[in-house]
Amino acid sequence: MKHFLTFVALVFFGLFLALFVRRNQNPENDSRPTLRIYAASSFIKQWGPGPWLKEKFESTCDCVVEYHDAADSVSLIQRVKSEPKNKSVDLVLGFDQYDLEMAQVGLDWKNVKVDPQQFEEPVRPLLSRTSFTPYDWGVLAFIGHRNADKSLPSNTDDLLAPEYASNISLQDPRTSSTGLQFLLWLIQVKGEEKAFEYLQKFNSQVKAWGANWSLAYGLFQKDQVKLTFSYVTSPVASLKENPQSDIVALPFAEGHPVQYEFLGIPSTCLNCDLAEKFVTLMLSHDGQRVIMDKNYMFPVIKSVTKGTMFEAIPEFKTIDMTVIPNQAERERILKKWSQVRRSE
Amino acid sequence: MFASFIDSVKYVGHLIPVAFLRIFLGYYYLQQALLKFNGDFLARPRLAAQIADILPSLSSPEWYKILVERLVIQHWQGFAFIILGVEFTIAFSYLLGYVVRPVAIMGVVVSLNYLILLGSNTDDLYRTFIAVHLMMAWIGAGRCLGFDYYFFKRRRGLWW
Repeated sequence: MKHFLTFVALVFFGLFLALFVRRNQNPENDSRPTLRIYAASSFIKQWGPGPWLKEKFESTCDCVVEYHDAADSVSLIQRVKSEPKNKSVDLVLGFDQYDLEMAQVGLDWKNVKVDPQQFEEPVRPLLSRTSFTPYDWGVLAFIGHRNADKSLPSNTDDLLAPEYASNISLQDPRTSSTGLQFLLWLIQVKGEEKAFEYLQKFNSQVKAWGANWSLAYGLFQKDQVKLTFSYVTSPVASLKENPQSDIVALPFAEGHPVQYEFLGIPSTCLNCDLAEKFVTLMLSHDGQRVIMDKNYMFPVIKSVTKGTMFEAIPEFKTIDMTVIPNQAERERILKKWSQVRRSE
Repeated sequence: MFASFIDSVKYVGHLIPVAFLRIFLGYYYLQQALLKFNGDFLARPRLAAQIADILPSLSSPEWYKILVERLVIQHWQGFAFIILGVEFTIAFSYLLGYVVRPVAIMGVVVSLNYLILLGSNTDDLYRTFIAVHLMMAWIGAGRCLGFDYYFFKRRRGLWW
């Protein structure tokens, strides 16, 4: 026992010493202020809008922009809460409307001042929440391949047709916000009881409930399913990659759910002024254009889509999903969904 | 002590394959620990983020989830240091063949937590690690080509 404890203590002491020496040898000689931004991976990665915004902002701010990524909004909030005070987060990007309640538990947020007149009409009501500002939005729909011979589904009942049996990919609502949107949308348009009755039949049509959007969409891209649940902007992304693409978003008679992405500045921010300036850049015409082009989401600022492929996207009938079930209610719904899946 | 290190080959030579496996595993842990030491494992909450990602879908008991959420995620820097220290401990112990038995139990505990927390992608790896650590502890793998043989010869007991 004595040998073991001494050995462990020695190793830990050695590690501590090595870290101490390394820290003293590499003092951070960059005295510029650091803007620490937490965002979803899709925003930060090379193909997202993050790198452009960072480069543009650093060229004028005499500061360093430091991105920290998280797989989704839940882990984003967890990480913001777990940061030590001396390394406070200055800006958080990537909440959707369902995360805002959770984001406010145990965290205070600064008011972000914006000019409502600049914003697109559908987004303006969301500006009443001064702590969180929307920076892009998207309409969700089923996506399929254009087919000259057969008509494509135009409502939820059409999805139960035998040709779509085991031919649809969706996101798991427990782990994906897109999946949650689908479930809540279904409940809103059909009523809870009928929605779950529908789901019982619909389950056999689903080949896979992917843990996130990219897994579900990946199945569709690999032609392993005929339909998937995604954004109405997905055909634009597909067209950019392949001009011959025949992918279309399917308008449904019931209307479509809308997802908004929000940003927030925690009240514990260290470089709050820089965070506000970064927000101004994000909401500028150029910033919005980059977010639109890289994230394939609609801009919140007026006239950014002019002259782009996004202008050609037909208008989809959306449904008002501003009534957001609270955390407990969502957990109840998800539990019910799990039971329906288990009873397959 | 060094003479007995070589002597062990003569008396417990049948354990050489196990000693080889032990040294290989020690080398693997050393590599992993150095990667973490030279990377940003201690500077960025990567592990906490990974755990936070997987936590909602874990089927482990509620008390474990609460423990992880309130202790590990909240104090991720302390835990990152402990994990790194444990990995270095396992690496040095397996390479030197010193206090292998208790360290192998430590390895089982660490692998078990990794198995629960890091999701299904690494399931097989950590299951295998648990089995190998258990074998190391059971056999007393430090007795061949290791300093444990010196102490085992003189003191006997469960520790060597």
